Amino acid sequence: MADIKLTIDDQAVTVAEGATILDAAKDLGIEIPTLCHLPDHPPYTSCFLCVVEVEGQNNPVPSCSTAAADGMVISTQSERIRSTRKMCLELLASEHTGDCYGHCHITCPAGIEIPQFIDELAHGKPGEALKIIKRAMPLPSALGRVCTRPCESVCRRGQVDEPVAICNLKSVAGDPDLKAGERWVPEVGADTGKKVAVVGAGPAGVSAAYYLRQMGHAVKIFEGQEKAGGMLRYGIPAFRMPRDVLDTEIHQLDQMGVQWQFNTWLGKDYTIESLQKQGFDAVFLGLGAQAASPARIPGEDTPGVVPGIELLAKASRGEDVDLGDLVMVVGGGNTAMDACRTAIRKGAGKVVLLYRRTRAEMPALDIEIEEALHEGVEMRFLAAPVQIEMGDGDKLNVKCIKMELGAPDASGRRRPVPQEGSEYVEQVSTLINAIGQKFDTASVDGQGVELNRWSFVDSNPKTGQTNLDGVFTGGDCSPGDGEMIAVWAVQAGHKCAASIDQFLTGRPIVGLEYEWYSTIGTPGGPAPKQILERFTPAERQTMDMISDDQRLGGFAEIELGFGPDKGKEEASRCMLCGCDATEDCKLKIYGTEYHIEPDRLAGAIRDFHYDDSHEKLVMESGKCILCGSCVRTCHDHGLDVLGFVNRGISARVSPTLGLPLAETDCDGCLKCVEVCPTGALMAKPGATAD
Amino acid sequence: MEQSQTANDGLRVVIGLGSCGIAAGAQDVKDAFVNALAAHKVEASLEDTGCNGACHREPIVEVYQGSDHWTYGGVTVKQVDEIVEKHLKGGAPIEEWTLQKGPLAPEVEAFFSKQKRIALANCGVIDPEKIEDYLAQDGYVALKTALADNDRDKVIAEMLDSGLRGRGGGGFPTGLKWKFTKGATGDQKYIICNADEGDPGAFMDRSILEGDPHAVLEGMAIAGFATGATAAYIYCRAEYPLAIARLRIAIVQAEERNLLGEKINGSEFTFKIKIKEGAGAFVCGEETALIFSIEGHRGMPRKRPPFPANSGLFGKPTNINNVETLANVPWILRNGGAAFAAMGTEKSKGSKVFALAGKIKRGGLVEVPMGITIREILEEIGGGSDTGAPLKAVQMGGPSGGCIPAKLFDTRVDYDEVTRTGAIMGSGGMVVMDETSCMVDIAKFFLDFTQKESCGKCTFCRVGTLRMLEILERISEGKGKMSDLDLLEELAHKIKETSLCGLGQTAPNPVLTTLKYFRHEYEAHVESQRCPAKVCKPLLTYSIDADKCTGCTLCSRVCPVHCITGTKKEVHVLDQAACTKCGSCSEVCKDDAIHIE
Repeated sequence: MADIKLTIDDQAVTVAEGATILDAAKDLGIEIPTLCHLPDHPPYTSCFLCVVEVEGQNNPVPSCSTAAADGMVISTQSERIRSTRKMCLELLASEHTGDCYGHCHITCPAGIEIPQFIDELAHGKPGEALKIIKRAMPLPSALGRVCTRPCESVCRRGQVDEPVAICNLKSVAGDPDLKAGERWVPEVGADTGKKVAVVGAGPAGVSAAYYLRQMGHAVKIFEGQEKAGGMLRYGIPAFRMPRDVLDTEIHQLDQMGVQWQFNTWLGKDYTIESLQKQGFDAVFLGLGAQAASPARIPGEDTPGVVPGIELLAKASRGEDVDLGDLVMVVGGGNTAMDACRTAIRKGAGKVVLLYRRTRAEMPALDIEIEEALHEGVEMRFLAAPVQIEMGDGDKLNVKCIKMELGAPDASGRRRPVPQEGSEYVEQVSTLINAIGQKFDTASVDGQGVELNRWSFVDSNPKTGQTNLDGVFTGGDCSPGDGEMIAVWAVQAGHKCAASIDQFLTGRPIVGLEYEWYSTIGTPGGPAPKQILERFTPAERQTMDMISDDQRLGGFAEIELGFGPDKGKEEASRCMLCGCDATEDCKLKIYGTEYHIEPDRLAGAIRDFHYDDSHEKLVMESGKCILCGSCVRTCHDHGLDVLGFVNRGISARVSPTLGLPLAETDCDGCLKCVEVCPTGALMAKPGATAD
Repeated sequence: MEQSQTANDGLRVVIGLGSCGIAAGAQDVKDAFVNALAAHKVEASLEDTGCNGACHREPIVEVYQGSDHWTYGGVTVKQVDEIVEKHLKGGAPIEEWTLQKGPLAPEVEAFFSKQKRIALANCGVIDPEKIEDYLAQDGYVALKTALADNDRDKVIAEMLDSGLRGRGGGGFPTGLKWKFTKGATGDQKYIICNADEGDPGAFMDRSILEGDPHAVLEGMAIAGFATGATAAYIYCRAEYPLAIARLRIAIVQAEERNLLGEKINGSEFTFKIKIKEGAGAFVCGEETALIFSIEGHRGMPRKRPPFPANSGLFGKPTNINNVETLANVPWILRNGGAAFAAMGTEKSKGSKVFALAGKIKRGGLVEVPMGITIREILEEIGGGSDTGAPLKAVQMGGPSGGCIPAKLFDTRVDYDEVTRTGAIMGSGGMVVMDETSCMVDIAKFFLDFTQKESCGKCTFCRVGTLRMLEILERISEGKGKMSDLDLLEELAHKIKETSLCGLGQTAPNPVLTTLKYFRHEYEAHVESQRCPAKVCKPLLTYSIDADKCTGCTLCSRVCPVHCITGTKKEVHVLDQAACTKCGSCSEVCKDDAIHIE
């Protein structure tokens, strides 16, 4: 047979007659993506992902079924081809009904592979669980106690009974390691010769250092306080965030070779420029938000008015504070709750919380509110201070005004509206203002760092880049798209470490690797009934706590943790949402490669359908992309269990007569599973062809 | 079958019993004739025929006596007795009921005068169930001559000379197709007649099969002889029971006379035809899908090449022609390719059958010489809009075709000229639209059809057409965005470029052409939530015109959400907040009092 000479992407290749363009490209080592082509089978040509451009032809052609011809000039990566492939993948993804990941996982700002680590716990392997968590963040035991747990609000288990106690399960994975002689830390990368200065030892800085060391960069952390931890230490009381846990967990950075310098403040003791002059190749600013937001009312600088954050920091250092007999705390968040409970422990006779909305609108976690009430905090709603004056003796006269709830504001919560003429005066010994924190700009004044209009450090939310070359930032001092909470800060540290690595190695700075994944509905939205029906209700485990006497007597940790047994029990409640085919799903791999945006083509999606009747395999037709590989493979196997039914968008691959797989002739050869490019056909755990 | 009676002076009553005639009540009319002839003791031959194309005048009854020929149109059962008594018995035609002298005579004249009937020559003329009738019209002469000459190349040369191009829509030269199949090597070759007519509004093939089945059989046999095929299939949709019944009768009759079967007419040529009933999947009109379907597989297209001429049915060389194409073959061989090529334009020869449907006064089947303008077909033959509103556009080529706006009605019927407008010649469907038609709605209608009929194989066709349809639905509900128009175009071009078969490659055409010629209508829906043709119900508001309402209560009784109130004989009121815009009120109102804006 005559040889055929053609050119693909400017490379000449010779193939035998009968070869397709796809074959010829393969000979050159050029990979053309395809979802429906089966090697050693006749071309099928349904997905149209393998299109290429042939010079002189008007339309792209499918390379899997177009014969290579002499003199052909082919382009496999032109702009037109890439846009066609992108749209092809977007169309498939736009009707795909499948969860690549659990909704907890995709909601977690740090991106912890939650079902995976919980599955390890359910199998009694906290060490393995720890390794999984530590891929996404460095502080499982610390955040396993204080995270605001956005994951649990979207946990599907909540639609069966109650969400899985995801947050605390992290400490079930992390705590045994804290007590172990040899703590597990990830491997440190080979030395790159590059030095990075991390400013701030809070969760963002710790996280940045943790990942930078894994990449092989030398890291020195500069911290103004005497100890590391940032807000985890100085903003959260020890009864929630025990210091030994925090110390031990941060200590892993020593194991990883991080250097420290404490009691040194940026803007006072050194500048960004001085760091660069010292030879640091890049700088990460994890400066936090340590200044209390002002209440903007007359008299707020009166002695006896204390910012909540200052109270917490003093308590953290073990300093004495004199609060008097009646303390009023203003605010509705977790810091307000912590301030209330710290005040009680610091000897306040009575603690009253004043919040301008109602309990339903309080941003604090419900459990924290409950605990505060349990410890005797009196809560008064729909009122706010408008003026503070020095009263008789040591007392403050706090003039308050009553509120009503009006229309919802930007946050979706109903806006409090002052009621005219409703003012009244309260007499208190101390007023604690816990209405929020802000970035203290003094640390960067005059150093060329641009701030945004909210006076945070301005940064690219994807990469953490500031306006200064080689200077990156994240966490509370530059929340970007995130919130001012620890789990966002660890994500920011991770993201900036990736950007810094890209910067130091001269690659384009993109932050964390882009990944496309499929989701059924929106996180937390109603789950397909067929998923929920597979689970029987099982109560969420509760933790043991220390006695009331013990708790109010000091700052001992209140919650005693699940421990291994309850932890395993709780872990077994996880529905393990997500897809087992995620790692090698071609739709996901190509979707990521082509940066698809299926939302622009959003419309009707496939129904969720789950057939687990067969002992060896599961069929989830919502994930089928109709490549027909299973149909052809089953036919070759001599069975024809699978075939096509219906037309148009309703076309489906279906078992014979629409029967459950177990009622068909399927012999469990699993060849269809091997060829399925997505997770539409999956082997059951442990199932083999024999 | 109808038994022939002894003719009284050759008195014949011929009734059009095509599907259109039967739908209009021709069977009842025929039964009435049987009774009336008996009652009046008139001896006449009562015969059937197919459709003559004037579907809008059915039931049609023709009376022949000697050289005398009268045609009655729109005949009702009540009229039959009078026709028999006065005309058949009394010899006095009831002229005002006839299409020759009655009030409709000029219209009938206009309908037929510009036509050139080749494929339809026998339709409405002969009894399709009698081979004798076909033979009397020189039927099977072409086949017999070809077999006697025994020169396959000459047949193909004649076909090439004729310039006949595939009438199913592809427009590929028929002679060339035959030549390829003849040149292909294979121990067995096949002829397939593609009778899977599926375009909405198209019924050319059905009428030919019902009215002149032998012409198709003869055309197939000639194709078989020319290409070397000895076996053939007619792939006909099961929704055409009358066509299939008449084909079966015709095959038996032809075999009885040795015009089909073993050693035809004493020659060495053997040719056997089987009928394969299709389940009505539109995509099976595509030749590779059709072949899979005959083989017993799911009808899904595959990539060409290889073309069926080289590897078709069961992997053997196969020639596939459409019904109308084959019906032209006997005429071409009898009259010569040159005679056929004398009609038409440079690249489009002969005549073409069109099915006129939609907002047209004289709907039906017409056969016109190529080169005639669209305006002549729609205005002179079809008589313009049936609503009286000005014509706006015509959809040519069914759901695969495109909308040609009125400003381009001087386009000639020619494969290339029509293609230049963005439409296609297609199989011959012409769906006519006037100012009361909404172009977004029309595009939606055709796309809905192709989306449902897509076999689902190719990603872009399966999902892309749905996304386009969803966008059109949003637009017609007033929820569209201007960026949707760009997205529609982007999807449309990608779908056209990346689909295996004609269905996907052409599915976006109705959207693309309406966007091209009627973009302002799309923009009106998007920008001002207004449907200029007042068709898209979510964009309409209904109210009752107090001056016209007579208080008949019809609307209030029919309203499904009870949003119309009022007492008898008093003006009614419509609550627009509760109105679901279903349009029921305006459908029942006899006083034109429902105002739609």
